Amino acid sequence: MKYLLQKLGLFLLTLWAAITLNFFLPRLMPGSPADAALAKLSQNGPVSDATRAAIEAQLGVPTGSMWDQYIAYLGQVARLDFGVSYTFYPQSVASMVSTALPYTLVLVGIVTILAFVIGTLIGVAAAWRRGTWLDALPTLTGSFLSTFPYFWTALLLLFFLGYVLHWFPTTGAYSATTTPGFTGEFIADLARHAVLPALTILLTSLGGWIIGMRNAMINTLGEDYVTFAEANGLHGRTIALRYAARNAILPNLTGFGLTLGGVVGGSILVEQVFGYPGIGYLLFNAVIGQDYPLMQALFLMITVSVLIANFLVDILYGVLDPRTRR
Amino acid sequence: MSKTHMFRRWRRAAVVGLAAAAVVLSGCSIQISSQPDPSIGDNTMLINADKGNPFFTRNFNPYLTNTRTASRWIYEPLILINPLDGTQNPWLASEWSQPDARTIVMTIRDGVEWSDGEDFTAEDVAFTFDLLKDNPALDIKGAWQHLDGVEVKGGDVVFRLKGEDAPSLSILGQTMIVPEHIWSDVADPGTWRNEEPVGTGPFVLGNYNDQQYSMDRNPDYWQSDSIEIEHVVLPATNSQLDTVTRGYDWAYSFISDVEGTWGAASPHNDWWFPPAGVISLVPNLEVAPFDDVNVRRGIALSLDREEIAETASEGYMQPAGQTGLVLPNQEEYLDPEIPDGGMIAQDADAALAAFAESGYTLQGDRLVGADGEQLEFSLTTANGFSDWTRAAQAVQRQLAAVGVKVTLKLPQPAGYQSAISNGDFEMAIGGMGNGDVYQAYNGLLSSEFYVPSGETTSNNFQRYRSEEADALLAEYRATVDPARQKEIVHELQAIVYDDLPVIGLYYGGIWGLFNDAKFTGWPSEEDPYMIPQNYDSAPLMIFTRLERVKEEGQ
Repeated sequence: MKYLLQKLGLFLLTLWAAITLNFFLPRLMPGSPADAALAKLSQNGPVSDATRAAIEAQLGVPTGSMWDQYIAYLGQVARLDFGVSYTFYPQSVASMVSTALPYTLVLVGIVTILAFVIGTLIGVAAAWRRGTWLDALPTLTGSFLSTFPYFWTALLLLFFLGYVLHWFPTTGAYSATTTPGFTGEFIADLARHAVLPALTILLTSLGGWIIGMRNAMINTLGEDYVTFAEANGLHGRTIALRYAARNAILPNLTGFGLTLGGVVGGSILVEQVFGYPGIGYLLFNAVIGQDYPLMQALFLMITVSVLIANFLVDILYGVLDPRTRR
Repeated sequence: MSKTHMFRRWRRAAVVGLAAAAVVLSGCSIQISSQPDPSIGDNTMLINADKGNPFFTRNFNPYLTNTRTASRWIYEPLILINPLDGTQNPWLASEWSQPDARTIVMTIRDGVEWSDGEDFTAEDVAFTFDLLKDNPALDIKGAWQHLDGVEVKGGDVVFRLKGEDAPSLSILGQTMIVPEHIWSDVADPGTWRNEEPVGTGPFVLGNYNDQQYSMDRNPDYWQSDSIEIEHVVLPATNSQLDTVTRGYDWAYSFISDVEGTWGAASPHNDWWFPPAGVISLVPNLEVAPFDDVNVRRGIALSLDREEIAETASEGYMQPAGQTGLVLPNQEEYLDPEIPDGGMIAQDADAALAAFAESGYTLQGDRLVGADGEQLEFSLTTANGFSDWTRAAQAVQRQLAAVGVKVTLKLPQPAGYQSAISNGDFEMAIGGMGNGDVYQAYNGLLSSEFYVPSGETTSNNFQRYRSEEADALLAEYRATVDPARQKEIVHELQAIVYDDLPVIGLYYGGIWGLFNDAKFTGWPSEEDPYMIPQNYDSAPLMIFTRLERVKEEGQ
């Protein structure tokens, strides 16, 4: 119980720090939202005085002292009211986030879980059969693929599978010609559009899980209790899964918790490359447009989900490994 | 087989595989061709003009910053201006007159209907201007900085100006007109998204979803006979690769090696990149030594504009002269007495002579002032504006050759905008000119926009003041005689040429990409009837000029 309270206290303290940073950081960026909008316009030619005045009137410029703004902001956060987006003015931040979030949660969420499960299983198999091709092939290709930068893999897939072979659509989350709705046709279309970004995330993250699991597993396989189990003539699979893997998975589980928390943030580069309308792409545009309200809502969402994931992993650790509770 | 041996074999296989992939990638270049969507018919135009980031929001209020591009084709202005040369085409106003420099009378076009069937009247025009007066946030062209009052007289609308202000015609004329019978019921037009737009334009909103929307031909459009496009389709997400491969009929994008990419993708792909605006060095005239015209002249003479233009725009754009005019668009305004059309050639000796007038001499490879310090300054441009960045690097190299040390500053666009607005820079890259010559010189030279560094302005970033220029600009405003206006423009050119308030480098480009498989009649160098951009109001004119390609036997 004390362990739980300690963790909860730490969680709340970090949350407050995150909210506060979240308030001050965007305000330290040079230029205002109106400047960002004007810079975009002025690329197409000089912008008149009147345009500046109109844009400032539309977007509003923060007023009051920093302290007043901070107090008002804390109130907003408590009410989960994030106001109106600047770059998507006059749309509310809440409506922008709720449009983008499902895409990211489904795409990045499913793929992250898939990558973790597949990667961990391969890691177990690789460690169990270490030194054979079953070990070398996945370990090598895994580490090879994970050394590529995310966007490079994304661009290669986009270019060959999308533009050269025309197997998969190259942009967007669904074809413009299909009508959104719960129809088989629309869901199939969504799935086709998700293939390339999903493949990118899968390919680049698989290696980490494989190697992490394989190495942890090899360590546990050297433990006395495993040798003892072998000496007792237990079935190989039982030893691998019940004795070794269960203990070896702990570090991977921490990583998984954190990654899962990060899912909410989407995958900026992948979403950018494939024009996928998720949170990552939204965040990118919010930063470019100095869209404080949208940025703050997104950063907060990401921070909170990572914190919650962290908190849950701590709790889970406490359950799985009695030593941490002391 | 030992484990290490096993790994070594795998590693060798991997290396071989990687090498093979590299050979494939570098050895044969893969030509991308355009693959049009078969569901898009011959009567439908696919335009890459509106970017949803990452998806569209349903906003068709034409005055808001984040309006959908197509809202400017649903609502029309009174006068349609070609930003290339400032030509004023009658649009919702069929004609206009300026009885004196304080009054503009516009005759409202007869027989125009709103897309819901109501008649368009002079009252709608007056209502629109009153709407902008009551909601300054919507007044993006700044009509009420010039207006005193608007009244309807029969089919005419009379604009009373605040002062002698003949050139305000172009600003009032560009205001988009909205229907009184709909907008008068809107509680807060400043945040209204106008999801079901009703306008006078050639198209009405068709299907809409957050990935794409379409527009349908408005059968009751007042120029209906000239519109041969049945539908226009605008997708939300477009990368440069999409631009080339998706079969667009019209796109607007700077593309590297346009011939090898856009041009090679389809035999029907064509492009026109006219110049627009002069990309310039903007010195902060309140910062020493830029308050000294000799230093400005020395810098201007040190630059090889050919090389800067070539580097910055991959050779698509020409170097610009020192008149502030965009040539050849504004050739008719060019003062024939200005040598070489205003072009300043690189001349190291003349540059050193100019610097020497202010006490700067070359010592070794450093240009040193009377105080013994090397002439050095920072040059600010916006991160991500890659052509400006390349131009800034070229300037840095060329000035290093005459002993001037330049450091580059690359804040994010918002930071850049804030720096030049507040005078928080030494030298910056910026754009000047384009379209209306009066607006160009007024924004550049008028002390009306002067504020000291530390205060915000949105024009005259270099913080220039000259009584002579102010007097000329005032006289231009008071003149309705085009011949006299042209003389004034000649004198303003001379000021820019002699006084170098900014230093012209090269022309900014307009990147029009077309495909003429389905529609022909695009603007071109031979027929520059409109700027080839697919945002703002320019497409209104282009839509009326496009003709469908008839298949043989049809």
